[in-house]
Amino acid sequence: MGKGTPSMAMIEAVGLRKVFRSLERGSGIWGAVGALFSRTFVDKVAVDDVSFSLEPGELVGYIGPNGAGKSTTIKMLTGILVPTGGKLRVAGIVPHEHRMANAANIGVVFGQRSQLYWDLPLRESFELLRSIYDIPRARYLENMRHFGAILDLDRFLATPVRQLSLGERMRGDFAAAMLHDPKIVFLDEPTIGLDVVAKEAIREFIGTVNRDRGTTVILTTHDLADVERLSRRIILIDEGKVIYDGSLERLREEYGTHRTLVVNLAESYPDVVVAGTEVVSRELNLVRLRFNRRELTAEALIRRVTERYKITDVSIIEPDIDSIVRRIYLEGYHEGTIGAPS
Amino acid sequence: MNHLRVMLGVYKQYWRINILTTLEYRENFLIWFAFTFIYHGSAVLALWIVLNRFPSMNGWTFRDMAFLYGLWMLAHALHNTFFSTVGDVPDHIRDGEFDRILVRPLDTLFQVIATPGQVFPDELILALITFTAATWYSGVQVDATFLIFVPLIVAGGALIDLAFNLFISTVAFWFVRVDALRWIVVQLEQEFTRYPISIYSRGVRLLLTFVVPFAFMNYFPARFFLHKAHESSMLPAGVGLLTPAIGLGFVAMAYVFWRFGLNRYSGVGH
Repeated sequence: MGKGTPSMAMIEAVGLRKVFRSLERGSGIWGAVGALFSRTFVDKVAVDDVSFSLEPGELVGYIGPNGAGKSTTIKMLTGILVPTGGKLRVAGIVPHEHRMANAANIGVVFGQRSQLYWDLPLRESFELLRSIYDIPRARYLENMRHFGAILDLDRFLATPVRQLSLGERMRGDFAAAMLHDPKIVFLDEPTIGLDVVAKEAIREFIGTVNRDRGTTVILTTHDLADVERLSRRIILIDEGKVIYDGSLERLREEYGTHRTLVVNLAESYPDVVVAGTEVVSRELNLVRLRFNRRELTAEALIRRVTERYKITDVSIIEPDIDSIVRRIYLEGYHEGTIGAPS
Repeated sequence: MNHLRVMLGVYKQYWRINILTTLEYRENFLIWFAFTFIYHGSAVLALWIVLNRFPSMNGWTFRDMAFLYGLWMLAHALHNTFFSTVGDVPDHIRDGEFDRILVRPLDTLFQVIATPGQVFPDELILALITFTAATWYSGVQVDATFLIFVPLIVAGGALIDLAFNLFISTVAFWFVRVDALRWIVVQLEQEFTRYPISIYSRGVRLLLTFVVPFAFMNYFPARFFLHKAHESSMLPAGVGLLTPAIGLGFVAMAYVFWRFGLNRYSGVGH
């Protein structure tokens, strides 16, 4: 997990834990009425013993289903929430103890909430941020020029934010979060709701900023294409626990062992059985067979199929990261147990 | 020192946005302005009608009451102009916008106060005109004491308003919705600052003096400047000059509560 010495790390989390306490509340109207008088509390563990460390300049995908504890972790890293337990340092600072000092080091993009002033030209929001972060004039102009170039902002700087498209607004929000040269940026669902072109522009920008400025990036997202495109390392979290922390390639190698052969049968057979495969689905003459690439080559499998059945067409589907991750959430992560390397 | 410079710069920017936003919606602003005018106009008119039937109320004439109202209006308008956004905190907590405040390198309360909320100094200007007219009309002597203390008393009155605004908003860290509580306090203030509190029962007087000290926004200072100290009251005339201290004291208490609420928000101890 942790590489390098702790003092070098940009983010160092050890045994991070967050428990929310809330009033117990029954269901329905009577439950809600009862909660008015209830004094029973229930504890919900949102983040449970999370440890990881990030080097300066890393770009990490922090992935998990809804309610897995992603946002809670981000809120602790940004100093919004105080951890219930564990140790945490962000750029050498304990976030909740020095909220303002930490805030100066970080940039945050909440994909679903804009920090731009709705009614005013985009430029006004940037001017305000210049004051808030006390950005020197020369630095500000230089950053505006740079972001203007890579995000193509200049076209709509004078347009009121409410008239911008979602993609344009998002580009504005990115520039806003980066204007003060933060050491770390937290991107919470940065591409949510964007069309393909806008998504690609945002990914391009994130990659550029990470590469050219050495900004450390933590990316939480549902869209695994963001991660596939941008980061080599991912941290998977489920039910408050880290279930995988490592490279995307390793995950693909360990979990992406199963490919799918799609076969178009020339005649209708009552049953399709091929040794070393499992029938995933069958629609009339279209059969999907799942097989382990470590045990069976595609060539050998096609031969086996054609020996027994007449076919018109075959194709192979490679495992995508989406299905790998979905599988891990369903089955849990077991290192080396599935398709152990030979 | 550097921090103060940054805060001043930000405050200026926030006001710039404030005014630009207000002017962006000119019609909305004009309707608000008309409403402000009608609201205060009808309050004064109501006083005039009442006092037309009863020439004086516990020794207070319409001229006295005009000063009483003008003083409250000025303090209240000062609060509405510079501190009203404190009342938006419960909304920000509910929609998650409050997190944004916490990831910026400035004091939370400063941000809450400075955040643009489509305020324009129209009510304040109207209040200044009303207060000046009321002072002249009531025949209050404008001497050195008046010129030194009235600005302080008005500021103190605005701080009393701020204290309760902040107190109620802080409660939202626990209960999220605080509309009911806010409504009660706003009604209490509006009802009991119109007339001299000497017309009310002892319980109400004690409440407005010590618990929710709205009587310090206008009644006690007016009693001092109108020389009505002799009226059946438990406190000497000089307390009318204590408003700034009362305002600071209550804001200090509300601020301590605010810090406590912030800790609750970030889940200290859980």
